[in-house]
Formats: sequence, structure tokens, C-alpha cells
Amino acid sequence: MAQPLVKKDDDRDDEADYSPFLGIEKGAVLQEARVFNDPQLDPRRCSQVITKLLYLLNQGETFTKVEATEVFFAVTKLFQSKDIGLRRMVYVMIKELSPSADEVIIVTSSLMKDMTSKTDMYRANAIRVLCRITDGTLLTQIERYLKQAIVDKNPVVASAALVSGIHLLQTNPEIVKRWSNEVQEAVQSRAALVQFHALALLHQIRQNDRLAVNKLVSSLTKGSVRSPLAQCLLIRYTSQVIRESANTQAGDRPFYDFLEGCLRHKAEMVIFEAARAITELNGVTTRELTPAITVLQLFLSSSKPVLRFAAVRTLNKVAMTHPMAVTNCNIDMESLISDQNRSIATLAITTLLKTGNESSVDRLMKQITNFMSDIADEFKIVVVEAIRSLCLKFPLKHRSLMNFLSNILREEGGFDYKKAIVDSIVILIRDIPEAKETGLLHLCEFIEDCEFTYLSTQILHFLGIEGPKTSDPSKYIRYIYNRVHLENATVRAAAVSTLAKFGAMVDTLKPRIFVLLRRCLFDNDDEVRDRATLYLNTLGGDGAVVQTGEDVKEFLFGSLDIPLVNLENSLKNYEPSEESFDIYSVPREVKTQPLAEKKAPGKKPTGLGAPPAGPPSTVDAYEKLLSSIPEFANFGKLFKSSAPVELTEAETEYAVNVVKHIFDGHVVFQYNCTNTIPEQLLENVTVIVDASEAEEFAEVASKPLRSLPYDSPGQTFVAFEKPEGIPAVGKFSNMLRFIVKEVDPSTGEAEDDGVEDEYQLEELEVVAADYILKVGVSNFRNAWESMGADCERIDEYGLGPRESLAEAVNAVIDLLGMQPCEGTEVVPNNSRSHTCLLSGVYIGNVKVLVRLQFGLDGPKDVAMKLAVRSEDEAVSDAIHEIVASG
Amino acid sequence: MILAVLFANSEGNILVERFNGVPAEERLHWRSFLVKLGAENLKGVKNEELLVASHKSVYIVYTVLGDVSVYVVGKDEYDELALAEVIFVITSAVKDVCGKLPTERLFLDKYGRICLTLDEIIWTGYLESTDKDRIRRLVRLKPPTEF
Repeated sequence: MAQPLVKKDDDRDDEADYSPFLGIEKGAVLQEARVFNDPQLDPRRCSQVITKLLYLLNQGETFTKVEATEVFFAVTKLFQSKDIGLRRMVYVMIKELSPSADEVIIVTSSLMKDMTSKTDMYRANAIRVLCRITDGTLLTQIERYLKQAIVDKNPVVASAALVSGIHLLQTNPEIVKRWSNEVQEAVQSRAALVQFHALALLHQIRQNDRLAVNKLVSSLTKGSVRSPLAQCLLIRYTSQVIRESANTQAGDRPFYDFLEGCLRHKAEMVIFEAARAITELNGVTTRELTPAITVLQLFLSSSKPVLRFAAVRTLNKVAMTHPMAVTNCNIDMESLISDQNRSIATLAITTLLKTGNESSVDRLMKQITNFMSDIADEFKIVVVEAIRSLCLKFPLKHRSLMNFLSNILREEGGFDYKKAIVDSIVILIRDIPEAKETGLLHLCEFIEDCEFTYLSTQILHFLGIEGPKTSDPSKYIRYIYNRVHLENATVRAAAVSTLAKFGAMVDTLKPRIFVLLRRCLFDNDDEVRDRATLYLNTLGGDGAVVQTGEDVKEFLFGSLDIPLVNLENSLKNYEPSEESFDIYSVPREVKTQPLAEKKAPGKKPTGLGAPPAGPPSTVDAYEKLLSSIPEFANFGKLFKSSAPVELTEAETEYAVNVVKHIFDGHVVFQYNCTNTIPEQLLENVTVIVDASEAEEFAEVASKPLRSLPYDSPGQTFVAFEKPEGIPAVGKFSNMLRFIVKEVDPSTGEAEDDGVEDEYQLEELEVVAADYILKVGVSNFRNAWESMGADCERIDEYGLGPRESLAEAVNAVIDLLGMQPCEGTEVVPNNSRSHTCLLSGVYIGNVKVLVRLQFGLDGPKDVAMKLAVRSEDEAVSDAIHEIVASG
Repeated sequence: MILAVLFANSEGNILVERFNGVPAEERLHWRSFLVKLGAENLKGVKNEELLVASHKSVYIVYTVLGDVSVYVVGKDEYDELALAEVIFVITSAVKDVCGKLPTERLFLDKYGRICLTLDEIIWTGYLESTDKDRIRRLVRLKPPTEF
């Protein structure tokens, strides 16, 4: 008679309520496991103890090494029992315990006996257990049995061996690959699951052999695959073959007919797999897409949530590349907005926002309003971004979309969500003139009750720029001045600046603005008072209705035009003296961001945010260094410093890299040298530069490095004169010359006498990109429009055969050395055309904007249209010359 | 790969959790994520009506079966449709073991058999058997009928 699993809990009378595992404890169960050692085994009792052990493991409980070993040894005793139920439990238990290699040996013989047993089910289970716990040596011993098992007529045995093969392929690929013939035979099995497992294994064995996969797919697509699961695998492998052959073959797409045929399969799983495979074909045509979209549309109204989800997920992806192909499904998708499954509803909405037409916008917005209240912030942000794109697509609908945004702005939400909404409103105000006044009022209302200081200050700044240009600027003053009363110091200071901007731009408001600004002189925060004083003085303190001077407007509204990081660094380096801080001494170069940071998402158009600032620049350090060297002191203002260019291979005796410093009429090469030999001291280190391939450059100065001890980097400089303001290019060869002295490693002292020696360095080039600063703009379109077409130069270029469109785009960006804007340096996969926007400052402080339009001309040839706008037509021409000669 | 199979009771306590290829330190995260997902969405859902979610490149199909909720997590070839197949096999096999929709008590009473059933259905991350009658026989170490 078996004992009850657990004593009944006194507090619980209702038997249905208490768990048979209530109060279960690992220690007690491990004690109970001693029954496995009884000479007279009680199979039922043993099964119950194993169940408890499994319960513990399935709850995430772990056994220590000692505990696991103890249980494992005890469990092995159970092979003595002939009880079938217990044997089945033993198999599971051994797999769960996954014993170590030295322990496995205990059960190997028992399992091998079972594996050759006449009872099929013992064979199947023994295979699974052995393969789970085996290592390479044991595997060679049992390989013969496994190969037999793969073609066993009992499907359970065959499947056990095949699935084991899939796992063993990860650890012992060489052995499993030898089973190809047997697996190939199993693929032809009449048992559906055996075929499924065999196909999966065969593909894994051959996945790196493109021809073999092609052959496998060719033969199976003609024959009959029995299980829907196997058919799905076949579709996946077929898509892989299509993808790979697309690069090498022209003409009709191979296997498309097979995929299309699968759309009429009786299993939904197969239909869906085929539809998805078709939508993911490279460069899929509308004709190819249509039948797939039709079946996906049917799935949208399926009673099974999984099918609805799968269909809408696929259509959402299709909508990104072929929005028109999905429009037929819009009605079905609209009904999914109210789907109980929120994941389905969100996918439906974002798809609709991508594909919707103008007439459906109002209806859609009504449906989304109900939906928004019960989804999480991250879903809401996706919806807000989709609405913004929709509004830019259908500007006439700005009223209802703007209303929607302002409504959700008033509801609860976190910072990121609110920022997404505010950014969207700002972008709409900028791009749709009719939306401006309502948009500004929505923002005004928002800052009346805004808990985020950052958003309040950004909106105040934006109001200061846009508000004075509206038909009735006075109506915004109340909202702004309220901030001075009700907010923290940061917001108050921003409000003061905004008031001053209204005063400067709207002469009639000036006297009243002065009254308000004077009140701010008594604020308890320094910054607020200082700003009020500054603006009162700048605008002319008497408050008369007079026109504000242009220079004052420039001061208030002109862009700072200097990266804030650089300004901050320059201010930190400034030492108070008689000489006042000169803002023009601040370098303008924005250091390019490291690649890792570029990967972060955020390439969407920014609303309020300024263009992303680079990390702290090293330009300041360079400028300080160069200005401290008398020979270079009269070169003027440093225009640009390049990134270091390596002139030696890694791990050589001397490591040298060079930084190119560009001045208006000079170039300075800064050679950073490191001596990596402990037994040497280098002295009088110089670089002998041969400029014979740089005709426009003449060497004017050289500053040697007096001493270069081991592992202590130092610099030597060489300066060249070049024609002023001209982007001269050339090639320079370099030779490191020095006196080398032996160092006694024990004392660290160098010998007195040294030997002169030379060390050849790599060549160095000054290229056109060295004369262009990477300076981004926050809104390229605005910058482009305001630059005007006066100095525009447009031409077309053939770039010849290229590896890919992305490679061509990057090559041109590198050639010009300009800052890509708005994330346009990223080329979507499979694009046949791309537009890239670049911005920069050319030597002589001339702003340049470039619009590059790339297109694939034939299979690989890339054609490019280059449009350049700048403040000087000579500069526009120069950019074309760089491209023409590059 | 089928990354996880998880059973929980109506209060969100774990009855069975089996992970494949999920590092130990991530398991706790998955457990609480799934239980939360169920708490938020499974109220009022009919027995065996499937719900779907995706989290990055991982899919989750889950449902209610009597007093217990069942979650299956997969990636790559085990997308939402394949998982729907897996969860269908699991729910029908569990019903078969329990003889009806399981109460928590019934589920725990049949715990050992349910573990064996899951062992037949999923072989460390791969679907092995799909037919409940066959599974019932395999658990008893009897050969399948079609053989």
C-alpha cells in the first residue's frame, strides 16, 4: 500500500483545494529517494518519489553536485525493476539529472542493453537518454545502432534517433554527418513525423553545401511531403535557395510556382508559410505578391487568434515596402482594432496608418482614440509616430490629427510618450503652415500643466521663435508669463528669454514686455534675474515703441553655430585674464560619433531636440597644443584636425600615427610616436617628409622630439605652407629619423653614445575631405530651402559597377568628408534607389549642403545625381570637382 | 527551438517550467514575464482559445486549460503557427491524461504522467510527437497503433 504523498494540512479541510506537493521540501524528498536502494523495490512508491523529484526540478529547484550524484546512483538501481511505468520514469529522471561523464558509465551498459532490446519502446527511450548524456567516445560505440535506428520500421524509434541526431550535430558534427545515407532514406519514410525530423536533420547536415540543398529542394518540391510541418520546412529551405540563386541567375524566379501552389494546401500552417515566403522574396513584384496577400487577407478574419496575428504581422512588414499592395486588406484590418488580443490590435493600427487613404483618416482616428487608453506607453509611441507620418502624407487632415495629438497630450503618460507627442506637433507646425496657430495653442495649454521641465523649456524656446510670427502674438504672452510665476527656475529663465524674443520681434508689445521683464528683476534665482537684466539692456531699457536693431535680433535669434560641447570645453579652458573670452576661438568641428553609438535607434526626424552633439572634442586639446608652439603661432585659426592615420603596422618596434591639422594657408602634420622597445631610448626624433608628389606644399618648419623613452608617447611636427584658402591635395612619404641609444634594463640608464637610424613609415595623403568640416543641420529641408538655389550646381555621374548601393553611398560620404543628416547614410536592404543628405562647412567657413540621389542602373552599375548648394558658387563647383576626380 | 513550456495555476504559481537553451539567469525573468502576460490577458478567455504575443524575435502562444494556464515560447522555426501546433498537442495530451479539463488538484495528482507526456512531446526544444493517442501509448511504453 502506498503512503500518501503528503500529510493533509490541518487548516485545509476541502480536499480539492490542497496540493499533493504542499510543504514539499528538497531535503525530505532526497531522504525518501533512499527507497531506490531497497532490496525489494516498490515500483509505485519509487514512481511517486521520482514524481516529487521532477516537481522540485520543474519548479526551478536545483540540486547540488553531491545531491545530484547521490540521486543518480540511486536511480540507476531501478533498472533492476521490470515495472514498465517505473522504467519510463527512470528514463526521464536520468535525462533531468544530466550526469557528468564519469558517472554516465554506470548506466551505459543498462541503456545499451535497452537500446538493443526487442521491445521497440525501450529502444526509442534508451536512444534518447543515451544521446542526451553521451560524449564523443561513447557515441562512436553506439553509432552503428543509431544508424540502424534511423531506418527502423517503428516510427518512434526512427524519430528518436533523428531528433537525437539534430542535437548531436551541435556537439559531434563529424559523426552525425556520416549518417547522411540513412537520413536520406528516412526522408522518404511513409510516417509523417519521421519525414519531418529527417528533413530537418538532412538540411542541417547539408546547410553549407548550396548545391546539395538545391538538389534536396528540387527533388522534394516535385514529390510528396506528407506532414504539414515538413512542408513548412521545405518552404523555408526553398526560400533560402531562391534568395541565394537570385544573385547568380537572371530570368524567371525558380520555385515560385511551388510556393504559389502551397497557397492552396489544405493546412493553414503551410498556406501561411508560403504566403510569408512570397512576401519576403527579394524584389517581389506586385503580380507575385497578389495571391499571397489574398490568403493573408482571409486569415485576418479567421476565428483563430494565432492566424490573425500571423497575418497582420506579415502584412505590417509588407506595408513598409509595398503599402499599396496591402490597401485591399484595410477593411479587415480595421475590424482588428477592437481585437481582444492587444498585440494584434497594435499591429493592425500601425499597418493601417501606413496604408490608409485620406478619406479613411477620420474614421481611423475615432477607432484609435478608444484603443489608446488601454495600451502601454511603448505601443502608444509607435502609434504617435505613425500618426505623424500620416499627417505629413495628408496635410489637409491636420485638423483632426492635431486634435488627436492634443487630446492624448492631456492624458496620463511618461516622458518618452509625451516627448513623442510634442515632437510630432512641432514637426507638423514646421511642415504644415496651416497647422501652426492651433498647434502652438495646444503646446501653450500643455505647458500650463506640464510636469517635465525639459519639455516646458523646449516648448518655450519654440514659442519664442514661432509665436511672434503669428497673426496675434499677444495671446501667447499670458501662457508664457504664467510660467514665471508658477514654475521652477529653469523654466522661469526660459520664459524670460521667450518674452524677450516677443519684445524684439513685435514692436507694439515691447512696452508691456518691458513691464513683465522688470518684474523678473526681483526673482530669487540668479539666472532669471541675469537674463532679465541682459534682455532689458539689449532691447533698450526705456521700453518705447521702437524698432529693434538687426544686431539685437541676430543676438536673440541667430543660431549659436558652434557645437555646445566645444563651447563648454573652451569655456572650461578659459583662464580669466585681461583678455575677454572670444567666441570665435571656439572650434566648430563636430567629432564623428563612434560606430556603436550610431547603431542606436533615433534616426527619425527630431522635433524640438537640437542636432545630436558629439562627444567631448579633442579639437580643443589640439588647438591648445599647436598654439603653444611658437613656429605655428602665426598660422591663424585651426580649421580642422583629422582623425589619427596609422603609419605603421600593429606591433612594430615603433608605433607612429599622424594627425593632419588644416589651417587656412598651412598644414601641420603631428606625428604621434611610441617606442615599444624597453632596451632603447630614442633621441632627436624627426620625420623626414618627401613632398615631391605634393607640388603645392612647401615645408616651412619642423619640430623634433628631443627624447622618446620606452612606452612614453611623444610628438614631432612638420609644417607646410600651401596656397591660402585652396584645398590643395597631395601625397607625402615619411621616414622616421632618430638617434638610438642602448638602455641597461637593470638600471634603466642609457648609454652616452648613440647611433643614427631611420625607419620607413607609410605614405600619407592630404585629400579634399580634409578641407570640409562635418557640421550637421537639424532640419535639412529648411536649411536647403533657406540656402536658395543661387549657387546651386547639379550634375550626374556614373559610379560604375559597385558591390552594393550602400557601398557606393558610403564611398561618396567618405570622399566628401561631410556630415550625413537625418540618418540618410543608412541604405535600406534591397533598395534600388536612395537619397542621401550631407552638410558641412568648407574651408573659408562656407556652409555647404549636398543632396545625393543614387540609383541602380542595370544589375550593379550605380548612377548618381549630385546637387550642391552653398553660399559661394566656387565652393559648389569645388565639391563637384572633388567628386569628378574622386 | 521551443524555448520554454510553462504551466501555472490561476494565482500565477508555477506548476511546471521547462526551459531549453535559456540561460539560468534569464529564466526568472521569463517566468515573471509570462505570468504577468497571463494575468493581464487571460481573464475571461475561453478554454483553449489561443493568445499570441511576440517579444523581439521570440513568440509566445498561451491559453487557459481548466484551472491552469499554459505558455509556450519559441523562436526561429517555432513561430506563432508552429507554437500553436505545439500547444494544441500539449493541451489535448494533458486533457487526455486528466480525463477532463484539469483542476489544479487533478493536474498535480497526474503530475508524473504529465511530465512523461511533455517528455514525449518535446525533446529538448524540438517537437517530437504530435498525436495524443500515440503519446498516451508511448508514455506506457507501448508502440504506436499505426505501427
